[in-house]
Amino acid sequence: MAVLEISDLVVGYGSFPVLHGIDFVVEEGEVCVLLGLNGAGKTTTVATIAGLLKPSSGQVLFEGKSLGRKSPSARVKAGISLSPEGRRVFPRMTVGQNLRLGAWSQRRQPRVVKRQTELVLDYFPRLAEREHQLAGTLSGGEQQMLAVGRAVMSSPRLLIIDEASLGLSPTLAKVVWEATARIAADGTTVLMVEQNAGALPFADRALIMEKGTLIHTAVGDDVKNVNLREAYLGV
Amino acid sequence: MNLPLYEQLALALTAGVLRGAVYALVALGIVLVFRGSGIFNFAQAEFGTTGLFAAYWALEIKGWGYPTSFLFGMGVAIALGLLTERLVIHPLRDSSRVTLLVGTAGVALAAIGFQFWWFNETLVMSMPKINEAFFMTPWGAVVTVQELITLGVLAVVAVGLALFFRSPSGLAIQAAQQEPVASELVGISVRRVSMLTWGIAAALGGLAGILAGPYLTFSAGFLSFGAVGALLPGFMAAVLAGMRSMPGAVAGGLLVGCIEQLSSLSILDGAVPGAGALVLFVFLLGVLLVRPQGIFVGKVATA
Repeated sequence: MAVLEISDLVVGYGSFPVLHGIDFVVEEGEVCVLLGLNGAGKTTTVATIAGLLKPSSGQVLFEGKSLGRKSPSARVKAGISLSPEGRRVFPRMTVGQNLRLGAWSQRRQPRVVKRQTELVLDYFPRLAEREHQLAGTLSGGEQQMLAVGRAVMSSPRLLIIDEASLGLSPTLAKVVWEATARIAADGTTVLMVEQNAGALPFADRALIMEKGTLIHTAVGDDVKNVNLREAYLGV
Repeated sequence: MNLPLYEQLALALTAGVLRGAVYALVALGIVLVFRGSGIFNFAQAEFGTTGLFAAYWALEIKGWGYPTSFLFGMGVAIALGLLTERLVIHPLRDSSRVTLLVGTAGVALAAIGFQFWWFNETLVMSMPKINEAFFMTPWGAVVTVQELITLGVLAVVAVGLALFFRSPSGLAIQAAQQEPVASELVGISVRRVSMLTWGIAAALGGLAGILAGPYLTFSAGFLSFGAVGALLPGFMAAVLAGMRSMPGAVAGGLLVGCIEQLSSLSILDGAVPGAGALVLFVFLLGVLLVRPQGIFVGKVATA
């Protein structure tokens, strides 16, 4: 079943169009990587799915139902969670408080919050060591782990991660991708935005974007055979 | 004055703490809005005066009884806070801080105009006390029960706010200020959080206004720069608290009250009229030069 179905999505800032009608699906339980250069429209795509931007036309279906003009918080309750570009952790709060706020939509179910906290600390043992540290004092890699962990706290069925590898060393980027693969293996569908093709080995589906359109889609074994030169440069 | 120095000191400190309690209530509201919205709220004190006018109207004109009138005054103060958020802060949320600052000053001036209009420019009104009793301390200071009630309310409110900021809703207020986008993404409605912040801040202003109203006679602008001009002292207390610390705002309010009273009893006051305010501003300048982050700010700024 398709968890996410995007059809003919057009999004712009003011009268300046950024997405020129894109279509794609993300199937349940898979890791989908949305790859593209700076300015390709990747962040615009996921910000629209999360409800931060309103499309001028087109549709976003989540588990078969249109998200319409639902607010970001309504989408979190529906089961979509975005770890945003630039991490955006709450800097003057501890790691523990950041995680608890991640479970805001489920704050009245302490058992769920506890279960998700244990899960996140298991995915990212580093965060357990830093639980009482202010998030603003963490390293870039740790902040990225916290941003992903915070997004997992709301028990999403679709987890979107915008540029987890940005500014991280190759080793740290791999740590975050491996944790993401574990999250997917535990049953959460994952949509990752990346500029870094190093994420491809973790993907079941790869979408390649350029200048606001989708230029290439690869599924299953084809992902490994994506010719990036061709996909990126069209040669 | 011919009293011995230690008696003068005792008197001044008593008066300082009692007046400081009002400053502290105003400072708490200022710190709360600053932490929640990053705005310095010039209208904080006028939430209080407007609440006081409403309570006075209910009690003296309508004869509703003290508890009802008190609650009515609080309701009007909170309503004014929520209206400010809806009509001024929310529409201007993407403007610069200076614009917002001017916006809140506009609210304060509008509130003062409204007060004048409401009571047809009556210049002096007098709000009855909750309890008219007073007593004399062993060192000769006259303390009214009304002032003690204010001090008690301050203590309860301070503890309540400290607990509130550790609660999920309290964390959400801080989260919305630190990272509005991320707050929306975890499902916190920034709009609702902003309403909550302004509602609580206006309630703090209302408490200050309605409790301090009976201290003296009052007129429009009472709590900003009237008989109990608590806006500037409250602002100073908030600055001493680094604009962040709730316990700091309470300590700052009491300290500002004491400094004001102490400086007015010195020889200075005979020679220089208004020495109290002068010493206060010199003190604030000194603090800002030496410790711009405030003096009541511990290691953990979120406490």
